[in-house]
Amino acid sequence: MSRRVDRRAVFFLFSAALSLVLLPLCPPDLRYVGWTLAVAFLVLAVASWADFRSRHRRHP
Amino acid sequence: METVALYAVVGMALVFDFVNGFHDAANSIATVVATRVLKPWQAVLWASFWNFVAFLVLPLTVANEIAKIVDPTVVSPGLIFAGLVGAIFWNVLTAYLGLPSSSSHALIGGIVGAGIAKAGVSVIDGDELRKTATFIFYSPLIGLALGFTLIITVMWIVHRFRARRRVNRTFRGLQLVSAAAFSLGHGANDAQKTMGIIAALLIGAGRLSPDALNDPDGIPLWVVLSCQTAIALGTMLGGWRIVRTMGTKLTRLQPMGGVCAESAAAATLFFATRQGIPVSTTHTITGSIVGIGSSERLSAVRWNVARRVVWAWVLTIPGAALVSAATYKIVAAL
Repeated sequence: MSRRVDRRAVFFLFSAALSLVLLPLCPPDLRYVGWTLAVAFLVLAVASWADFRSRHRRHP
Repeated sequence: METVALYAVVGMALVFDFVNGFHDAANSIATVVATRVLKPWQAVLWASFWNFVAFLVLPLTVANEIAKIVDPTVVSPGLIFAGLVGAIFWNVLTAYLGLPSSSSHALIGGIVGAGIAKAGVSVIDGDELRKTATFIFYSPLIGLALGFTLIITVMWIVHRFRARRRVNRTFRGLQLVSAAAFSLGHGANDAQKTMGIIAALLIGAGRLSPDALNDPDGIPLWVVLSCQTAIALGTMLGGWRIVRTMGTKLTRLQPMGGVCAESAAAATLFFATRQGIPVSTTHTITGSIVGIGSSERLSAVRWNVARRVVWAWVLTIPGAALVSAATYKIVAAL
């Protein structure tokens, strides 16, 4: 049975959310690390989802 | 008597540094030995050498930051002793329970706990502690993102090469560079934690000016050399222990994945060291390896192990702090 959800994309989304959740705890001069990580994981999640979709697309 | 106590605690801190190198040796040499790029004795010497020379390449910012985590003017041999006991106890307990904990975070938790037990919360540098706590999570996440991006990029570049053997040979050679870079990062970030503890001890004893912590070269050379020597010796001896079990514990390791994991972890350690952030080398390489594993499929990652690692991350600082606070109260009562 084929999976409907790309678990890797979900994992990357969770990592992006974690990076954002930790921002208030991070000292102001290093907050750019959290923002960069969040954006990077978001991009990876979208790329992973696109890859998953192209692999699981039904061919006529 | 005070001088004897001071140098006894310095010796204890160096033993902690040695054990850190001993414990983390596997991270530096596992891939080069498993893929037979180097013979075991060569791998051990290679990693130890790069561990030792780290102070020549990377600034001592982590040492300066660690020394400030507890107000150095209240630091005493009893406080550092209690902190080290807390860290060692926590490491032994987690090793017994099979939880992969970080020696670095145990050390920070230990010193913070003893500091609070001695003089209250006001002597703790809150910004420094917050920075350390945040990067417990950020450092493996950076390793993960870099590791994943690197392996995907490398696979995309090499997939068009038909000469598989040549590609493999190239990555076997590159492993020497990535293992050296990782050992350099490990030698810098981990040895500097002990340097910071010793510097704080010397400031507390009036043997070093507090202004030394604002100077990149302020920490005495004997402290720098003894800490780098201790971690390099630990790696050398720990490496032998790992090599003995290598044949049974490690299975197929691909040179390409090894290079990407080590490079991603090394880049994370260089960044953290430059920013003066104490991070766990084990957690960083774990994040990178998860990144490499998830490039294939998520089930390639052993999630039960990852879950245990996360629990160890969360519990290490408070656990070590509690033990060292109790130890300090006992030491102070004697």
